[in-house]
Amino acid sequence: MKLLAKELRLTLHPSSAVFAFLGCLVMVPAYPYSVIFMFGCLAPYITFVNARETNDFFYTAALPVTKRESVGGKCLLVASLQLFQLLFSVPFVLLRGMLQIPNNPVGIDATLAWYGFGLILYGIFDLVFLTGFYKSGYKVGKAFLVASVPMVLLMAGMEAIPHIPVLSWLDSTQKEYLIGQLPILLLGLACFCICLMLAYRISAKRFEKVNL
Amino acid sequence: MDTVLKVEELGKCYPGFALENVTFSLQRNRIMGLIGKNGAGKSTTLKCILNMVHPEKGSVTMFGKDFFQNEKACKERVGVVFGGVDFYPLKKLSSITAVTKRFYEKWDSIQYERYLKLFSLDENKRFKELSNGMKVKYLLTLALSHHARLLILDEPTSGLDPVSRDELLHIFRKIVSSEDCAILFSTHITSDLDRCADDITYIKDGKVLESGDKNAFFQSFVHLKTPEDQGVLTLEDIMLRTERGDWDETAG
Repeated sequence: MKLLAKELRLTLHPSSAVFAFLGCLVMVPAYPYSVIFMFGCLAPYITFVNARETNDFFYTAALPVTKRESVGGKCLLVASLQLFQLLFSVPFVLLRGMLQIPNNPVGIDATLAWYGFGLILYGIFDLVFLTGFYKSGYKVGKAFLVASVPMVLLMAGMEAIPHIPVLSWLDSTQKEYLIGQLPILLLGLACFCICLMLAYRISAKRFEKVNL
Repeated sequence: MDTVLKVEELGKCYPGFALENVTFSLQRNRIMGLIGKNGAGKSTTLKCILNMVHPEKGSVTMFGKDFFQNEKACKERVGVVFGGVDFYPLKKLSSITAVTKRFYEKWDSIQYERYLKLFSLDENKRFKELSNGMKVKYLLTLALSHHARLLILDEPTSGLDPVSRDELLHIFRKIVSSEDCAILFSTHITSDLDRCADDITYIKDGKVLESGDKNAFFQSFVHLKTPEDQGVLTLEDIMLRTERGDWDETAG
């Protein structure tokens, strides 16, 4: 926990913190909600750039922590930002329901399936981004560019769902359809946890060989 | 246990540069200077000792324990200062301290306050607002506040004016006499070592040319004296004549 506290207090870039609050964008009546996940991917990218430019990796290496633990701290930070963003969006989704805002005409609505797809997107992005970054310990831009390929493809896929009639139930907020979407949410959660665990293990192994 | 740090046969290969069989040891309450020209391997040696650079061979024994097996325990008792590196430039010193102290079991807030006062450091300042000398003093304050028994300082005096350098060297001497602490510091400024080192390790092209007590060190370079030399050779003479040999050979 002290590593997470260190990341939040010293490494986290203010704009990344703002991005974590953008879960509230689900209140916008017509908006491509998959963009919210893009902000959730930009948040770790900006924070890693900040960490590199403020010599955070050097500073951490001098503390009584191993390289493996320092990777763990960063993984924890990324997961915290993304999960916080999703949790923060929940009251706004409920409020949207209470206000009876009509279905999002632009793309997929903030349904349980949307959360599930978002978690899958985050899991895959984190796996590619973190393992890519820890190959060198400084090439953040390259890691983000590579990780943004699956991110964009998943975003496009998500936004296409409401336009495919057979999948339109994934875009519905009606109770009977929401129950059907629950397995996608659970699948998303499992995917996120597994990908992050894998990302941590591979990244830690790679970072141990990196010369700072 | 008098040996604080023992480095044996440390090796690391890079394309175009290799650190080879670096061996030396440092006793408690002593200051060891690591000298060598730019690119000789001083910083790489220090980074290998701290496992920031992964050494390919060799061992590091710190406080009687294998460092790589007991990294966390050893680092609890080590203070590290990188001269010329800005850590979290936009953060206030109070924020950096609040985070750092959580990592050390032996953090001593009274000692921290004492050094803040002694060095006239203002906790409300941001790191980038400090002068280079004050930055080193702040990092020393952090190291001394968790009762580090070994300070590893990478070029702490580089870029400092003569007055600040002199002050820092005086502080180093005071630290080893008043705290139970040894200092290993790298520098290419030979006059720093003339003034404050007890032991000297000279690294040339990734290899230790000589390491030991200052008097013994000077004795081992007596062959560099010429008939024109009246007194003893200074460290600068030794370094220049040793490195110049290479240029002459290259030119020849």
